[in-house]
Amino acid sequence: MTMLSMPLGALSSLVAAADGPFIATGEAPPWIALMPGLPLLGAALCVLFACLHVKSKLPGYLTVALLAGGFATALAAFLGGLDNYGVATIFRWIHASIGADTSTTIAADFGFYMDGLSTLWMLFVTGLATVIGLYSTEYVEHDKGLGYCRFFFAFNLFVFSMSTLVMADNLLLLFLGWEGVGLCSYLLIGYFYKKPEAVAAAKKAFIINRIGDLGLLMAIGATFVVFGTLEFRPLFEMVAQGIDAQGQPIGHTWVVVVIPLLLTAGAFGKSAQLFFYVWLPDAMEGPTPVSALIHAATMVTAGVYLIARMFPLYAADDAMIALTVVAWAGTLTAFWAATIEFAQYDIKRIMGYSTISQLGFMFAGLGLLGTTGAVFHVFTHAFFKATLFLCCGAVMHGFGGQLSLRRLSGVMWMKGFGITAACMFIGCLSLSGVPFTAGYFSKDMILAQAFATPSDMIGGAFLIGLLLLLTAAMTAYYTFRVFFRVFVGPKHFEPGDDDHGGDHGADHGDGHSAHHQGETEEEGDALHTGFHPHAPGWAMNSAMVLLAIGTIVVASLYFVNKKEDHGWAGTMVKHSSAAYASPGLSHGDKTAEHHGDAAAAGSHGTDSHDAANPHGEGAIEGDVKPHAEAGTLFGQDPFKIMYYVSAVLGLLGILAAAWFHGPKGAWGLGIGNREHPRRVRMDAVAAKFGPIPRWAENKWYVDELYHTVIVKPLLVLSHVFHAIDKLVIDGLVDLLGSLPRWLGAMLRPTQNGVLHSYATGMVAGSAVLIVLVVLVALL
Amino acid sequence: MDMIVHPVLLFVAIAICGVGVALSVPRRKFHASLIGGLVAATGVGVLIVALGGAALAEGGPLPSPFFHLLAIIALGSCLQVITHRRPVYAALYFILSILSTAGLYILLAAEFMAFALVIIYAGAILITYLFVIMLASQSRVEDEEEGISEYDAVGRGPITATIVSFALLAALTSMLFTGVRAIAPPAAESVARAETVVLERLPGKIEKELTREGLMARGETVTGLERTEAGVLATVEGAGGGSRLVALPEDLAPTNTEGLAFNLLGDYPGTIEIAGVILLMAMLGAVVLARKFAQIDEEAKATAAAALAEGASAGGGRPNG
Amino acid sequence: MVDLLLAQSAFPEAISQNVLAHYLFVSAAMFTLGLVGFLTRRNLIIMFLCTEMMFQAAGIALIAFSRFHLNYEGQTFVIFVLTVAAAEAALALALVVFLFRKRDSLSAEAWAEMKG
Repeated sequence: MTMLSMPLGALSSLVAAADGPFIATGEAPPWIALMPGLPLLGAALCVLFACLHVKSKLPGYLTVALLAGGFATALAAFLGGLDNYGVATIFRWIHASIGADTSTTIAADFGFYMDGLSTLWMLFVTGLATVIGLYSTEYVEHDKGLGYCRFFFAFNLFVFSMSTLVMADNLLLLFLGWEGVGLCSYLLIGYFYKKPEAVAAAKKAFIINRIGDLGLLMAIGATFVVFGTLEFRPLFEMVAQGIDAQGQPIGHTWVVVVIPLLLTAGAFGKSAQLFFYVWLPDAMEGPTPVSALIHAATMVTAGVYLIARMFPLYAADDAMIALTVVAWAGTLTAFWAATIEFAQYDIKRIMGYSTISQLGFMFAGLGLLGTTGAVFHVFTHAFFKATLFLCCGAVMHGFGGQLSLRRLSGVMWMKGFGITAACMFIGCLSLSGVPFTAGYFSKDMILAQAFATPSDMIGGAFLIGLLLLLTAAMTAYYTFRVFFRVFVGPKHFEPGDDDHGGDHGADHGDGHSAHHQGETEEEGDALHTGFHPHAPGWAMNSAMVLLAIGTIVVASLYFVNKKEDHGWAGTMVKHSSAAYASPGLSHGDKTAEHHGDAAAAGSHGTDSHDAANPHGEGAIEGDVKPHAEAGTLFGQDPFKIMYYVSAVLGLLGILAAAWFHGPKGAWGLGIGNREHPRRVRMDAVAAKFGPIPRWAENKWYVDELYHTVIVKPLLVLSHVFHAIDKLVIDGLVDLLGSLPRWLGAMLRPTQNGVLHSYATGMVAGSAVLIVLVVLVALL
Repeated sequence: MDMIVHPVLLFVAIAICGVGVALSVPRRKFHASLIGGLVAATGVGVLIVALGGAALAEGGPLPSPFFHLLAIIALGSCLQVITHRRPVYAALYFILSILSTAGLYILLAAEFMAFALVIIYAGAILITYLFVIMLASQSRVEDEEEGISEYDAVGRGPITATIVSFALLAALTSMLFTGVRAIAPPAAESVARAETVVLERLPGKIEKELTREGLMARGETVTGLERTEAGVLATVEGAGGGSRLVALPEDLAPTNTEGLAFNLLGDYPGTIEIAGVILLMAMLGAVVLARKFAQIDEEAKATAAAALAEGASAGGGRPNG
Repeated sequence: MVDLLLAQSAFPEAISQNVLAHYLFVSAAMFTLGLVGFLTRRNLIIMFLCTEMMFQAAGIALIAFSRFHLNYEGQTFVIFVLTVAAAEAALALALVVFLFRKRDSLSAEAWAEMKG
């Protein structure tokens, strides 16, 4: 394998990926190991602090400092450009020879593979980790002491694991990081371990992740069997040539279908797609910074990262089977999650389902061969979703754990929540895809790709596009539903019933809600004697502001290198293994990636962006069949027209939300009529749909279905095993144990202390002996 | 298996003996000692007859009729020892068994052992047993049924004991009757040697006998013995020298005592010393054990003396029983 | 008859194997009777008496073999057996009396404390 890499590597470094994905061949500088190393140090220090019973916020601030160091390293790596791309081996990890003649070697080093994809990922992972770490120094301050140290230990460990996952240069190290983030997710979701719901949610998350991990593990094994290596560089080189370890072509074999599907299973488990999504809404039981970092920005994008990283393998299939599966799964999940959100009232849950929905978008983007769009959406989504979560967390923190949008209103005008509301607004704009926000641009790339990709490449791409458009509209609606209910309108609040709010509000339960229904809300916040909202402090505010600014700034990245690479994200993706000539997108330079010969389908679609590109390399797939032109939308180039279509849909969604949920007045865009947190126009409309809203509120009973179909039988099975364990195995051991006792009980009566019985025994014994001797000797 | 009697016959006879003995063991309800004794006797009789038949079949000599008589008495009294309900009678029957055993010893030309047995065993050991029986006796009433202690009246597990012991007997006798065939009778030389080996050490006796018979004059000494086909010849030396061979009279033989003496004291002197030490240890042990009784006696004596000193009626001195 | 009574006047003749078998049978039978008595009777003194009976049986066997082999080894051994029997009887009886005084009973079953 290595002997192939030399000439090929030289080629690919000269001409960036003339023949396939970009394979980083150089040596990355060893200081990139600071990115996982500093958080690891932070984790160790937090353990030390816990042992030393540190009661201050030192663990938190130290974590923020170390993570900032990690972010600085990521920035330096990014600014260093292509020089920093390559592999940096830190230490030799696994080198095992297996097989009868020990000829097969499994080699996995602790090494880091830096290319555009991992650099991009590390930027936002470390950046968000730093900011959210700052936020959490204030958020978990009520648990100063051991709980604080525990939180930051898991936080640091998480960042370390995520870094390892992203920067790993081989599948085994990636798996290490994969498991690590799962573990830290478990630790952090179950941070409030005294709450049974949190513990159950942690377990659910971990178990469902595990099911996906099985697929990943099988994929790793299959990769090793077929390609003989687990390291990315040799693997990509082999895949680029379309051969496996023995030199056999893999183009139409099971390799390019099964392995990607297994990888997809792993990715779906981690990223809460399709059947695996049920853990993410429950994971909102964890502290909000955890939800922001892990379940919005980083861990759940690990699945996207995996597919992007292994994209060459997916794309090596002519029939694009795995990619079709990915696209449809992502789309269906996005739509499904959006439908559930129509009837959820817990704002964190809404954000959780929104994450699932947006992740669906990202997977759809990948499946539709639009890797650039997917990766860019990951980047922007990290920022605005984190912003949204942090704002929800500020609300929760301030109102004693209250998260129901039926009990909160007009938070914007409450003292100290102005910044929160502003950041929330920015985040909502971005999520809904309002023009010129980051989310607008990134979602557009995916939506347009859905129509640009011809349907014979990815089956039913057009339908996917329609569904995604509908989902985008629904996204705008439910996002602004939250905003119009919670942040604007008449001031009203009811404190939540967890004592996270400290010394106030803990004893005010929901029993007050019924009491205060009929009161006017003009006064608002003096409803409950003794409870005052707890405005966020400087740490939380600054974190939210930073992220909101980030959300605005990343929108501009769309315009960096727009013509050549379709945005800054495109540049990064171009220099990574996710590089792919997405149909409908043309590229400005000769370094367009196309597999094999570019003969097929010279006809590009309708018009290309650049006249400087006589040969439209956009839609070239490979060496097999010429396929139809890139798709169109309303007869136009999808990428151009999507700007308008999605803007219209987004605005429609916002108007719908204002109509149904908006308050009276300007903040309701003039069409709302809400005067009370509970009575909205939507309720009357929803009543017309009969039981359907209630079903949606109950998440379409999916959890109950899983419980009945999977959990209960397993419980029964576990009872069976328990019975077997107790009766058979324990019984066997007890039987063996009771054997000496039984034997003793049998023999004990011979020791009756009476002389005669002993004497009789002696005589009997000697009689037997003599009889035996006589018989043996004389016969 | 080359047994003197047929094994099946042997085992059947032993089984019959066993049944008889089991019946004789004292029991609560009915006393079957008589029947048991008869059955046992039958078994023994069968076996002895078989043995005798085997002896006749080989043309060899039968044991003397006294043997049969003494054997029956010995075994019968042994049976009474083990089955009689009164301990004193058992001891007395044991003495009878000792006497018949002594008779058997005499038949086996071991008269010294017979005397020793009677004197030591019957005369000392058994008397001691009788003393202790009477000492530890508990019967207060003369009546047969109520006066016998529980532990004397009923035997414990007669069936098991009988089966086990008679299985042992069957094995033993099988072994004996087969092994006896393998024991070589003493060779002729050793028989001849046995005759002279003791007499050689008794020149005085030979001289006395020869002088009495007139085959030797005074002043001559016997210096050697040798066994030839003609008989035992003694070398006699005259007073002035010269030796001649004189045939010993046929009835000049060492007595059992003399032969045993030479063997015991000549070949095993150390063992005699050890035997003495054993007896010494036994005596010491008995004294130590008896001392405790003496203590009890002392206390009783002290209370008795105190009672006497008070001038009350002499109720003290009641012996400990 | 008189010859038989005066058997000591001449050196004893060797006896045959069959005659030896007679004596050995008597020895074995007496031993077995002693054994039965030991296992059956519960009176301690009678039990010791039965052990004495077993000594007797051994003695008969020894004397018979001594006669068979025409040497005096067996008889010497019987002397020592007698010695040991005497010593043992003395001590045993002392112990029996001791035990009797403790429990006021001669039954061997009165001493069953090693039960279990």
